Amino acid sequence: MNFLDIAGISYAYGDEASVVDAVDWDIPTGAFHCLVGRSGCGKTTLLKLAAGLLVPSAGRVRIDGRPVDGPRPDVGFVFQAPTLLEWRPVLENVLLPISLRGAVSAEDRARAGELLHLLGIGDLEARYPLELSGGQQSRVAIARALIGGPDLLLMDEPFAALDAMTREELQADLLDLVAARTTTVLFVTHDIAEAVFLADRVAVMEAGAIRARLEVPIARPRAAELRHDARFNALCLDARQAMRAPLAA
Amino acid sequence: MTSTRLYSLALLVVLLVAWDLFCRWTGISALVIPAPLAVAEVLWSGLASGYLWPHIWVTSAEMLLGLGLGCAIGFSCGVVLGEVDFLRRLLWPYVIASQVVPKLALGPLFIVWFGFGMTSTVVITALICFFPLLENTLTGLQLIDPRKRDLFRMLGASRWQTLARLKLPSGLPVILAGVRVAVVLALVGAVVGEFIGGREGLGATIIAAQGMMDSTLMFALFFVITFLGIAVYQFTIAVERRLLRHHQKGLAL
Repeated sequence: MNFLDIAGISYAYGDEASVVDAVDWDIPTGAFHCLVGRSGCGKTTLLKLAAGLLVPSAGRVRIDGRPVDGPRPDVGFVFQAPTLLEWRPVLENVLLPISLRGAVSAEDRARAGELLHLLGIGDLEARYPLELSGGQQSRVAIARALIGGPDLLLMDEPFAALDAMTREELQADLLDLVAARTTTVLFVTHDIAEAVFLADRVAVMEAGAIRARLEVPIARPRAAELRHDARFNALCLDARQAMRAPLAA
Repeated sequence: MTSTRLYSLALLVVLLVAWDLFCRWTGISALVIPAPLAVAEVLWSGLASGYLWPHIWVTSAEMLLGLGLGCAIGFSCGVVLGEVDFLRRLLWPYVIASQVVPKLALGPLFIVWFGFGMTSTVVITALICFFPLLENTLTGLQLIDPRKRDLFRMLGASRWQTLARLKLPSGLPVILAGVRVAVVLALVGAVVGEFIGGREGLGATIIAAQGMMDSTLMFALFFVITFLGIAVYQFTIAVERRLLRHHQKGLAL
């Protein structure tokens, strides 16, 4: 059964040409899908459409069988930048989604602490965002997206600004966390290796349309050594060539 | 103490000595420029005899009342205009136009309305402080990181929650910069307000000293006003640092 179901969706800013043009995409429950493409290809817009932050000019999005007509609390969103509130300590940043919906219980605090612990920053909960490194800030943003126990996680190039080593660590941690909760994930990136490492399926997007769909038949859990595996590299090459393919005339 | 601070202090001494030497060598009349020691003497006797304290108190009270009133009203109006698009578009031309009006020129009118004394000075001061707060609050509320706005939308935050938990805290640095401007203007407002319609206060005392051709007293009052300004300004900066300690790393003011 498909958890996220995108059918014939289009979007245009004002009177300009469509940024997203009749895209169809399904994600089965618990699957991890990546969307790769150059900047400006419409992948962030597609993600915002899925989140209900933008209203499509045509087509529809369903999450868990229900049509999306606005942002929903059961969807976690991770932005390009950590987007933390600088004036709040880490723990309160993680608890923001809960506190906006009502009172924060001791149980919620415990869960936030546990999430931070799982993400390896359990000892930083009283710090303020600007006292953290970029990687630690990204971890806080992931914890915040997971605190409500979302069934769907939408991620918009969350690791783009991090150095290669930190990015690899975060990719591994993310896979562990979502595997433990059978969270459905749509992850947008411009990094082909990142997409292949994380995903069950990779979609290559260009000029608002999906040009190619690649299955990644690599078993989980995936170890870091996988990045140097011949099969992995072959899949990366496939994706790379799909991106280079000329636009349909 | 850093060496730069030491040099700053040394410069003060040099300036005072130069002032003193200038007065001695030129033999300039104390009516034009009094010698620094004479000014210090008047200042000291004014403070020691208790003559100056009621005036300092009146000016401080006018300044703080006007500042508080003007900031509170300016801030509230800024929030309302920031939140209600229609009102902002309707009133914006008037806000711009009122910026240009020399508020002090309204002083004589306020004396007609509120009479001589404290009330009219407080009203002038409040009016002067109103605008920087209005403008900075409005600007601060508009300057929100679009990603944070999306985050709050994504989390289903209400309009009130977005205002209280995102817009106000994130606009706080800009709003407090407005307070800093208002603090400086408040002192100008209070002193000049007293020039026009004060019976008591440092501004009124300057006018009285002018009537008596007492330049030495005017210089002494000038120093008192400067110290008052520095004290309030430093206090504001300390509060600002405290409130913004997490907003920016190594906050430079």
